[in-house]
Amino acid sequence: MKENPIILHTSSCAEITPDKKMALRFMDCKELFGDMEEIYEESSEEYKKAAVFKAVYRKSSVTFFGEKGIRFDFCEIESESLRKNLEGCKSAFVFAATSGSAVDRLILRRTKLSAADGFITDCIASSGIEVFCDFINDEMKEGRTLKPRFSPGYGDVSLCCQGEILSFLDAYRKIGITLTEAYLMSPIKSVTAIVGILEEE
Amino acid sequence: MNIKELLNKKRLYIDGGMGTLLQKRGLQPGELPETWNLTHPDDITDIHLSYLRAGSNIITTNTFGANCLKFDNLSDIISAALKNAKRAIELFDGNRDECFIALDVGPLGKMLEPLGDMPFERAVEIFSESIKLGAENGADLVIIETMTDSYETKAALLAAKESCDLPVFVTNAYDETGKLLTGASPKAMIALLEGLRADAIGINCSLGPHQMKEIAREYVKYSSLPVIVSPNAGMPRTENGKTVFDVDAEEFSLVMKDIAEMGAAILGGCCGTTPDFIKATVEKTKNLPFSPAVNKNLTLVSSYTHAIEIGNDPVLIGERINPTGKKRFKEALRQGDINYIVSEGIAQEEKGVHILDVNVGLPEIDEDSMLVNSVKELQSVLDLPLQLDTAKKSAMEKAMRIYNGKPLVNSVNGKQEVMDEILPLVKKYGGVVIALTIDETGIPETAKGRMEIARKILLECEKYGIDKKDVIVDPLAMAVSANDNSAKITLDSVKLIKEKLGVKTSLGVSNVSFGLPSRETLNAYFLSLAFMNGLDCAIMNPFSDTMMGSYRTYMALMGKDKSCTEYIDFFKDFTLTGEKGTSAVKSDYTNEKPLVRAIVKGLKEPSYDEAQKALQVVEPLSVINEQIVPALDKVGKLFEEKKMYLPQLLMSAEAASKAFDAVKSVMKDTGLKESKKIVLATVKGDIHDIGKNIVKVLLENYGFTVIDLGKDVAPETVLEAAKNEKADIVGLSALMTTTTEAMAETVALLRKELPEVKTVVGGAVLTKEFAEKIGATFYAKDAMETVRFAQR
Repeated sequence: MKENPIILHTSSCAEITPDKKMALRFMDCKELFGDMEEIYEESSEEYKKAAVFKAVYRKSSVTFFGEKGIRFDFCEIESESLRKNLEGCKSAFVFAATSGSAVDRLILRRTKLSAADGFITDCIASSGIEVFCDFINDEMKEGRTLKPRFSPGYGDVSLCCQGEILSFLDAYRKIGITLTEAYLMSPIKSVTAIVGILEEE
Repeated sequence: MNIKELLNKKRLYIDGGMGTLLQKRGLQPGELPETWNLTHPDDITDIHLSYLRAGSNIITTNTFGANCLKFDNLSDIISAALKNAKRAIELFDGNRDECFIALDVGPLGKMLEPLGDMPFERAVEIFSESIKLGAENGADLVIIETMTDSYETKAALLAAKESCDLPVFVTNAYDETGKLLTGASPKAMIALLEGLRADAIGINCSLGPHQMKEIAREYVKYSSLPVIVSPNAGMPRTENGKTVFDVDAEEFSLVMKDIAEMGAAILGGCCGTTPDFIKATVEKTKNLPFSPAVNKNLTLVSSYTHAIEIGNDPVLIGERINPTGKKRFKEALRQGDINYIVSEGIAQEEKGVHILDVNVGLPEIDEDSMLVNSVKELQSVLDLPLQLDTAKKSAMEKAMRIYNGKPLVNSVNGKQEVMDEILPLVKKYGGVVIALTIDETGIPETAKGRMEIARKILLECEKYGIDKKDVIVDPLAMAVSANDNSAKITLDSVKLIKEKLGVKTSLGVSNVSFGLPSRETLNAYFLSLAFMNGLDCAIMNPFSDTMMGSYRTYMALMGKDKSCTEYIDFFKDFTLTGEKGTSAVKSDYTNEKPLVRAIVKGLKEPSYDEAQKALQVVEPLSVINEQIVPALDKVGKLFEEKKMYLPQLLMSAEAASKAFDAVKSVMKDTGLKESKKIVLATVKGDIHDIGKNIVKVLLENYGFTVIDLGKDVAPETVLEAAKNEKADIVGLSALMTTTTEAMAETVALLRKELPEVKTVVGGAVLTKEFAEKIGATFYAKDAMETVRFAQR
């Protein structure tokens, strides 16, 4: 088996700006009203100071077995939805991204001051990490056609493969993502995903 | 010669990377390297031997990840690892007397609470187990390395100190920003580790020698302990699909020579380095002159991110987390309202203090747990160092133990009994201790008398090995109304004690004005005078503009405020008369009452102001029933009709809470309290609590009594709280599919033990069907639905 290298990427906050529309969607809001505007701006500013974006990604082979089995270099997953997502792929990128633990603390802190501020900051942070994932997605692309990214926890893929993904990426040592006993990631604003690669080799 | 003696005599060399060499010998991806101690002992011995031959004095066992989280056969792994290292020394043909075996201790790969789910004491336990095994099997020292979090580093070092007598070296892994992953600066780590009495400290992994140079320089500059530097072989890069490092042995050793010349005393390598790297480094540095580490005499206190150096510019210590003379604060303590304490902390930080004093003692509460919980909560959201302020030894010890940094310890005095209690704690956990110049005979009336007590305390500290840089003398400010000379004696004491004893000083300044009018004026002038006499720290009220103005003015006048920037910024909102300008509340001309409008719009301060205005013309109860409650109802309806969104709902709830505060200030019993009690928790395993927090805010503003158990709460804890509090309703939140199991378990337990208690569940992944299946009384799709359910 050819061993694929792990690629590490770090971005400054200057490169990554949370998408306002997306943040509003997370808030279940159409627009910002009155004082919300000010809270949003203030939260964004503080978020920018706190976020440190880091990601690792690595290519894995993809083969299918049985009705819904998928074999990666790091583990096997049985899932209809992921299998459908990876249709036609012989390989996939696996990636993990995080905005760091200072963001967790910021959300905690702002929530203590005001639930509204905390909630808005949380939604901004969710949007920020998504924007960063898109950014990494673009970097991985390099002219390839990639499938939409698929994160464990969605569809019928349980979170139980998180450990294998993170250790395949050496994500703890490289970017500081850890798992709780319930397979949740800390820092909270972290994402793992599998991105199928079409038309290669 | 033992290694502690050798440390002060010559430059020492640690070995280099292990992982890379194991891979070359066939370690498979995913295979745990530590198992090779048992399966490939000869390979491990051989690697150790090659490092000894390259010139390493210290070889580190192949036990980086050897802990009970990863291994069931931990004892076998560690004893084999030590055996392999010992055999290498036996086989070594050089000077064996100067060869040492270090038990290697790496991070657990888990995030500690509050950000993760690993409790601090559990981490200490896990580290202790491995370290005890290492000591039993003959390690000469312990190396705690590649730590990326200050709190976990503290857990490991504490474990080492508690479970063996071996010397302990500690190295942290910094990233390109020059900080640990969880934010600590080198200076913060130096403060923490010196306090906990590590024997040598430094840096390893993550960076190559070039990138490490600046961090190494900081270590050498601030550390009074020998400094260790073990870089990677440069930064990783991919070549033909393989990870390679970009620095070779020659280049590595050239940079290491520079680092040795800076003053690093222990050199080694990390990922990607091989015996060749060590050999080249030894050759280039062995003949360089060596000077042992010297005491830098820096008084450092720290939080999880940064250190404050006391002795340069004046340091302000916020005094507001203290119940003395504060009705509202006492009430918060009795109710266990830690949020109130935290918000006092945040507000003081925003005013610009550098350190927070934390005093949460009241005779009728359990001070131990209150102090521990306050410290935990404060350090989860604030990065200011804390001054732990309690007269209770047990509370002080518990708080010092879980504090994430090197605290100020408030306080000891010249009484033998007090020193016997507190100084051993400072020795064990580290800290800078405040020494009050009072003893069994009282407070001396002269500066010289106070100095003598300070001298006595310093002598006692010496017995414990507590350096005088870690003692700050407080010569006590006394009321000038009681004695015309008292302020002068205090000021003279500050000067004399600094000059003669060479220690830093601190004062609680506001005592000076006791019993006199216009206290702030007196305090402010006294503060400037004290600074002029060399005062290093002032415990003061940062909410007083006069006091903060005095500080800003002193800084500007003494050339400590470049271009008077801070001064200008501070006074920019003041008008000519010295009053702060107030921005008038905009009024528009609608029929709605201004208070109702302010609440519906979610304007916090205006709601408070409007409530106060309303209270001048109508009865408090009518303000509640005719304005606040209707406003909340209006908001609730708008939300339910989807004409208002969640953030607005929250803002209105908080605005209403401000209005309630105004009413409460004139009327004790608002009569609004719903009789229902609600226990809230995010279920076991789940560390997301934003949803639960939103529900809490709304419930409270609709008048319910809420007991918030926090996140990651075990079913038994929920049951116990529901029982003890005689709760009517238990609300449970779960965000992830993996934690819905814990929710089912909690509901089942409650149904069995407390069938009369209603349960309401919610969270992103929940459905009505799931709620019915697990037997919950009600599924709430959002926070407002929970309120409506509770109102039934």
